[in-house]
Parts: sequence; C-alpha cells; structure tokens
Amino acid sequence: MKFLLRKLGLYAFIAWAALTLNFLIPRMMPGDPVSILIAGSKGQIDAEARDAIAAQFGISEDPMIIQYVHYLGDLLRLDLGVSLSQYPVPVLDIISQSLTWTVGLVGVSTVVGFVLGTGLGVLLAWRRGTWSDHVLPGLTFLNAIPYFWMALILVMLLSVTVSIFPAGGGYDRSIFPELTPEFAGSVLYHAALPALTIVIGSFAGWVLQMRNMTVTIMGEDYVSMAEAKGLPQRTVLFGYAARNAILPSVTGFALALGAVVGGSMLTEVIFNYPGLGYALFQAVSAQDFPLMQGLFLIISLAVILANLIADVAYVFLDPRTRQGA
Amino acid sequence: MKLSSLIPRSGKVRTGVVVVLVFIVIAVLGPVVATHDPRATSFDMLEPPSGRYWLGTTQSGQDVFAQFVHGARISLLVGLLAGVISQLFSVVVGLLGGYLRGVADDLLYIVTAVFLVIPGMPLLIVLTGYLPSRGMLSIAVVIAITSWAGAARVIRAQTLSLRNRDFVEAARATGEGRLRIMFFEVLPNMLPLVASGFLFSVIGGILAEAGLAFLGLGSLTTTSWGSMLYFAQNSQALLAGAWWWFVPPGLAIAVIGAGLALINFGIDEYSNPRLRTGSATKKTRTSRAAGGDATAANAQVSGIGSGTPPTPGGASAATAEHVALTRERTDEVDPELASRIHPSPMPGSPIIEVDSLRVDYPTAFGTVHAVQDVSLTLRRGEILGLAGESGSGKSTLTNAITRLLRAPADVAGGSITYRADDGAPTDLLHLEDRELRALRWNEIAVVFQSAMNALNPVTSIHAQFDDVIRVHRPSLPAAQRTAIAKEHLERVGIDPGRIDAYPHELSGGMKQRVAIAIALVLEPDVIFMDEPTTALDLLVQRDVLDQIVRLREEYGFAIVFTTHDLALLLEISDSIAVMRHGRLVEYGPAVDIYRDPQHPYTQNLLSSLAELGSLA
Repeated sequence: MKFLLRKLGLYAFIAWAALTLNFLIPRMMPGDPVSILIAGSKGQIDAEARDAIAAQFGISEDPMIIQYVHYLGDLLRLDLGVSLSQYPVPVLDIISQSLTWTVGLVGVSTVVGFVLGTGLGVLLAWRRGTWSDHVLPGLTFLNAIPYFWMALILVMLLSVTVSIFPAGGGYDRSIFPELTPEFAGSVLYHAALPALTIVIGSFAGWVLQMRNMTVTIMGEDYVSMAEAKGLPQRTVLFGYAARNAILPSVTGFALALGAVVGGSMLTEVIFNYPGLGYALFQAVSAQDFPLMQGLFLIISLAVILANLIADVAYVFLDPRTRQGA
Repeated sequence: MKLSSLIPRSGKVRTGVVVVLVFIVIAVLGPVVATHDPRATSFDMLEPPSGRYWLGTTQSGQDVFAQFVHGARISLLVGLLAGVISQLFSVVVGLLGGYLRGVADDLLYIVTAVFLVIPGMPLLIVLTGYLPSRGMLSIAVVIAITSWAGAARVIRAQTLSLRNRDFVEAARATGEGRLRIMFFEVLPNMLPLVASGFLFSVIGGILAEAGLAFLGLGSLTTTSWGSMLYFAQNSQALLAGAWWWFVPPGLAIAVIGAGLALINFGIDEYSNPRLRTGSATKKTRTSRAAGGDATAANAQVSGIGSGTPPTPGGASAATAEHVALTRERTDEVDPELASRIHPSPMPGSPIIEVDSLRVDYPTAFGTVHAVQDVSLTLRRGEILGLAGESGSGKSTLTNAITRLLRAPADVAGGSITYRADDGAPTDLLHLEDRELRALRWNEIAVVFQSAMNALNPVTSIHAQFDDVIRVHRPSLPAAQRTAIAKEHLERVGIDPGRIDAYPHELSGGMKQRVAIAIALVLEPDVIFMDEPTTALDLLVQRDVLDQIVRLREEYGFAIVFTTHDLALLLEISDSIAVMRHGRLVEYGPAVDIYRDPQHPYTQNLLSSLAELGSLA
C-alpha cells in the first residue's frame, strides 16, 4: 500500500502542477491574451473594455499570489469562466458536453488499441524467426504515420471514394439526441472512422513494445522452467512470458498515452467530432482563452487520472509493489 | 578503417539509413532543383501530376512538388532542432538526477513526472496559442519543452545503474570532478540510449510540428509538410479528390519516421542481442519449414521433430564442408590429447543414453560446434557430474537432452534415448510435442542455474507448484494438490505456511530449495541441475548440497549435476564427465578420475585444486 500511497501523492502533486501551469501560462507567455485580443479587434476595443476583458481572465493589478488564490477559489467552485467565442456560455458547460464524446471515443479506442496491439505483440514474439519478423518494418511504418494523415486517408477511401462512413460529426443531425436505439446507432456509425483511426494509429506501437519485451522475457530462466515443466504452450506463453512482459507496457502507459491523446485530438478535428480536441482547436482558432485554459486543464486531469488507474492496475499485476502490505 | 566497415550489417538499419539520407538530400538539394516557387500562384488550379507539375498543383495553382521539397527542409530542420534541444534537456536532467541522487534527484524526478504525465499536444497547443510570433526556433523549443521527459527517465535509470560500476568508482577515487565523471565517464557508456532517445525525439519533433502546422498553429509563412496538409484540408482537397496534394507530405512523414525507427531497431538489437532477427536465424528457418508444425518448442529445437533424420544436410553445403574441415583440423592438432573414456562400471539399468551427439550454432562467422560427438550413459540413481569451464558446451549438452535448446542452436547429429522402468526406449529428439510435454517433469525435471531467476516473479510459490501438478495429474482435486506442494516444501526444509509467498519474499537459498522442491513434486527419474549452488553463499551452498544428496537417497532419482567446480563433483558424484571445446575429454567413475586422471586437462585441473588445498 505504501507504493500506492506514494503514487497517489505524486499524482496529487502533478495535478497541482497542472493547475498551476494553467495559471502561469497566460501570465508568463510573451503575448498576454488581453493584448492579443485587442490587437485582433483592430481598434474596436477601447481602454475601458480592456479592463473588463482582463477581469474576465482574472488578470488584474493584484499581486500574483492574490490572483493565484482567486484562481484556486474559482476552481473549487468549478468556475472556469465564460467562453468568449460562445459568450456567455460557461466554459464548464462546453467541457461537460464534449467530455462525454471524447471519453467514449478516445477511451474505448485507446483500450481496444492497447489490447489488440499487446495481443499481437505476444503472437509475433511467439512466432519469432518466421514470417512474423517481416511484419516488423511494416509496423514501424504504421507507427510513424501521423494520426491526422491516417484520418485523411481513411476519409478519402471510406467516405469520399466509397461512401460507407460519414466524413464527420458525432451523430446524424436529423435525429434528436436522446436515448433511442436509432440515436445510439447513429453515434456508433459516426464513431467508426475516428475510432478506426485511433486504433490503427496506436496499436502498432503497443505491438512493437510487447513483441520486444516478450522476446526478451522468453530468454529468462523461469520461462525455460515453465517449458521444462511440460506446461501447455499457452500457459508458458501467457502465464509466464506475456504475464511478465506486460509490466513495462503498463508503466510505459504514461509515455504512450500522451501521444495517443495528442493524436486523438487531431483526429477529432478532422472528423469535426464534438469532443474536447475539436473544442480546443476551435478555442485556439477563435482565441477563446478561457475555454482553451479550461480544456487544457480537463484534458490534463483526465490523463492524470488514466495514469493513476494504470498504476493501480500495476499494483495488482506485480506483487513486488505490494511489499509490506 | 575500411569504408565497408561503415556499412551497417543489419538490413533494417541499412534501409533506415538510406531512407533518411534520401530525405536529407531532398531537403538540401530539392529546393535548388525545383523550378517553381512554392508560393507562386498560377491559373493551373488543382491539376493532377504531370511533366510540368510533378506532383500536381494546389487550389491556387501552386506547385505541390516545390512545396514538398521546401517543406522537407522546414519539417526536418524543426524535427532536428527539437530533437537536439529535447535530448539535451533529457541528458542533463537524467544524468544529474541519477548521479547526484538525494534531494536533487527527488526534485528532478517529480519535475520529470509532471512533464511526463501532462499530455504534450494540448500543452503544445496552449503554449503556441499564446506565442505572439511563431518562428521555427520558438516552435522547436516549445516542442522540446513538452517532449524531453520520457528520455530523461530512461537516462536517469541507466545512470543509477552505471554510477556504482568499477570504472566510475575508479574515476571518483582519482579525484575527478563530479561533472567530469558525469559527462566524460558515465555519458559515453550510454551513448546507445542517448542515440535512440535522440532518434525518437526527432520523430516526435517532426510529428509535433506537422500536427501544429496542420492545426494552423505553425509558422504559416513558411511551407512545411504540416502546413501543406493544413491548406489541403482547408481547401477541401479531400472532396476535390486532389490526393496528390495531401498524400505526399503525410507519406513522407510516415516514411522518414519509419526510417528513423528502423535505425533505432539496430541500436536496440546492438544493446539487446535477444531481439536480433538477422541471418543467424535464417538457416534454421529452412529446416523448420520442413518440419511442418512450427510450434515454439520446435522452433527452439529447430530441425528436430521434423520427420527427416537430423543430418547436417539441413544446413547449407558450405556449412557441411565447414563442419568437415573443423573436425579434421581439431583431430589433426592434438592427436595425443584424444579423450579418455572409461566404460562406466556403474550398477543399474541405463535411463538416458546419449550417442555421438553433435550440436551446432550457426553464427555470422561460421558454424560453432558447441557439442561434438558426445556419448554418455546415465544409469538409474546415478549422480553424474558434468564439469567444464564456461563455453565448454556443458549447458548446450544438457539443454539438448532436456530439449530446451534455443534457436539458432541445432542438433546436427546423434541420438538421445530415454529408457522407462521396463527398458522401453523413447527417442527424445523425435518426440511429438504432446508426448514430450507428458514426459517432461514426470520423468525429467530441471533445476536451473540462477535460482534467483528460475521462479516466475509475479505468481506465488503455490501457483508454481500447482500448475505443473494440475497439468500432469489432472484428476487430483485442488486440496490434494496443495497438500502435495506443502509436503514437498517441508521436505526441503521450508515452512509450508510460506506456500503463498512470492519469490521476492524469499532469500536466495530458499528460492533454490523451492526450485528443488518443485522439481521433486512429480517424483521424476532424472533431475538436471545446472549449477544449482553457484549463486549462493558458502554455508547455504553446503546446506543445499547436503539436502540434494539426502533427497537422492530418499527418492532414488538420478542426477546430472553441471558445474565448473570439480572439487565439488569429486565429493558427490558417482561418475564424472569433463568437457572441453564441446568434446568429452574424460569420462568415467569419480574415484578413477580422482586417483588417476588420464587427460592432461583433467590432470592440470586436479593438480591446481591440490595446490589450493581443496582436495583433502
């Protein structure tokens, strides 16, 4: 449990760091949002409005520390400010709308990519030295394809050339969004291409990692012993080799998740998918700084949470972390 | 240095290097060759590729080829810059943390964790969102800031493991400064890691720049592959079917990313030889194909289990010739050093007979004959000591008998026969997988060399007893299986209450006993012990040894005991076989070998032992 508590402490710190970073970025970056907005308005915003806008951001003449306390207080009351581009909708409302879409799409496809890739990695390690070695360069290529380009190609092939799937959106606009089978079907139908993009984009990385790790583990004595025991091939492979090889994949989750989330955001942009990534893109294009900040915060917190879950899973997978429990 | 030595041997690395070089040439020379200005518009809108426009035109009539080659320059340059800056960050943070340890390390570790967990792309977007002007350098710096953490973690771990090595201790002892030690002693020893981290940073940099530019957050006044995609997407190039506009830049990113990753494969395989897939395994692949059913067991003992007799013909003619040549040579060199094989007068019926066994390892430098013409007979209840220095082939020999040889090792000839109680022979080299599995552990069990690593670290001792009993005695109920496991733990002197412990909760000696207890659990006829006491300290070693001898008397199994410690063998073995360069140089009853060693090699060994006072 000590391991888990230490991790919990670390993630609490990281969450605090993300909050603070979110506070500091608009105040530290060379271009402050107020001047950027005023420059963008080409003289339509006067000095009076300037103060009002600055107040919106919580940027004032107060000392930093006071601003920081106000900022944390606002966060506690879940007050993320008001969107500028969709004035006066609260940022929190926009976030809560798009969060469901992203968790559904990115969450599910990330897990599918991980499971598929890890499984295939074990298979390739097992069949090592045969045809499987020739798949590796192909997978390396697949792994290097940018998500957004993969999305473009899929749209071109499966939506423009042959119109099997819709090119964008979260659901058919002609259907009223409520819990009906029809609506659910439309959501799944629209999610197919973006999900495929994320799965194809992410699974090759897991395959390569798992294959190399399993090959390495297969040289360990305990795997030879399992084989000498006369255990079925399946048990040797999964119970001994893969069971140990998956551990670094779980610890490496943090590293990979960042890339998956980044790629998924771009994927959402291409498919105009009503999730967090698309909202962030729109916020940046519209220079809607409060929304941008709110979205960055929520995406960071979601990733931190996912990492925490991966670490909890690790405790279950590796008894060595449970020492002294 | 010959120029040819600069060409990497691995095909993957070679491909990778060629790909990267091609792109570098494109980036350097392309803009010179391209006749069109990448930004100049014309009235030739959305034209497909032609002789005039090699990659067609954009919606505003710009030449896609010109944009592509100019874009290569920007994309590669940003990737390179970001890679260099980010890797500098990683190296400094990783080295400082790993070497200094203490508070500095704790702080750096936490900072690294923050940057590792906070997702890079959103941070990148927010940061660039606030940048007043977006030049190439500022984009590269921002990319580096969001991407250094992963590599820093890796370098820190490696520094931690290197900082206590002898050469670092020596440098410290001579009073070298800490910074000097870090950057001139530690750093050069992890260059493969740094190189691999750098390659990944470059890939990451190119991808990040493309992503940003694609969102319209890059520097839009310069042309990069990402900005080409941004304009293509915004001008509905997809709907217009203008594939020539958006396929080349994305494909280029993927290809150069794959090229860099292929080079990295080579670095990985250099530092982790188990990952190699090169020519060494190729030869065995042909013989395996003949075997049909290529399960992993067959794959490891390639060539065996196929219906065809295992002759050297499985390898190429050149190899066969090489075999003949080497054999001729060794026989010529030391004719008077021929092996001294005494017929073993041991009582008891034979249980394992090895007859003229040959095992080859094909390597890049020709075939190595790890075991040459070895013949042995193990009788029921006998303790056979197998001695020899490392590399003498003793492990290859036992692995061949237990069928645990890994590719590319290949049984090139000879036979191994197991005889059951009633004397019925089983050809071990040609067993079907199912028959082999049934025989394993029931008749032949193994205790592995490194007791530290012979137990699965993630499952309990109980589970590791249970799986083997369940497979071989399917009718036994769970409670009875547990009872058997506990009984055997008790036999080796371990509290049965510890059955639910995990390997890491046991001491080295206890782990070794558990491994022996698991080997005993099905009461096999033969146990192979590969240096079972080497990793233990002397007192524990004694203890374990006594236990083995006592258990042998109790159960009556035969033991093949491998070690380089001849004194130990003289004490416990009935007969001894000494191996050298893959051959048996001496084989006979232990007493004879102690009193009257025949082979000069054994004589030397024994006299050096006598000088050390090991033989009382």
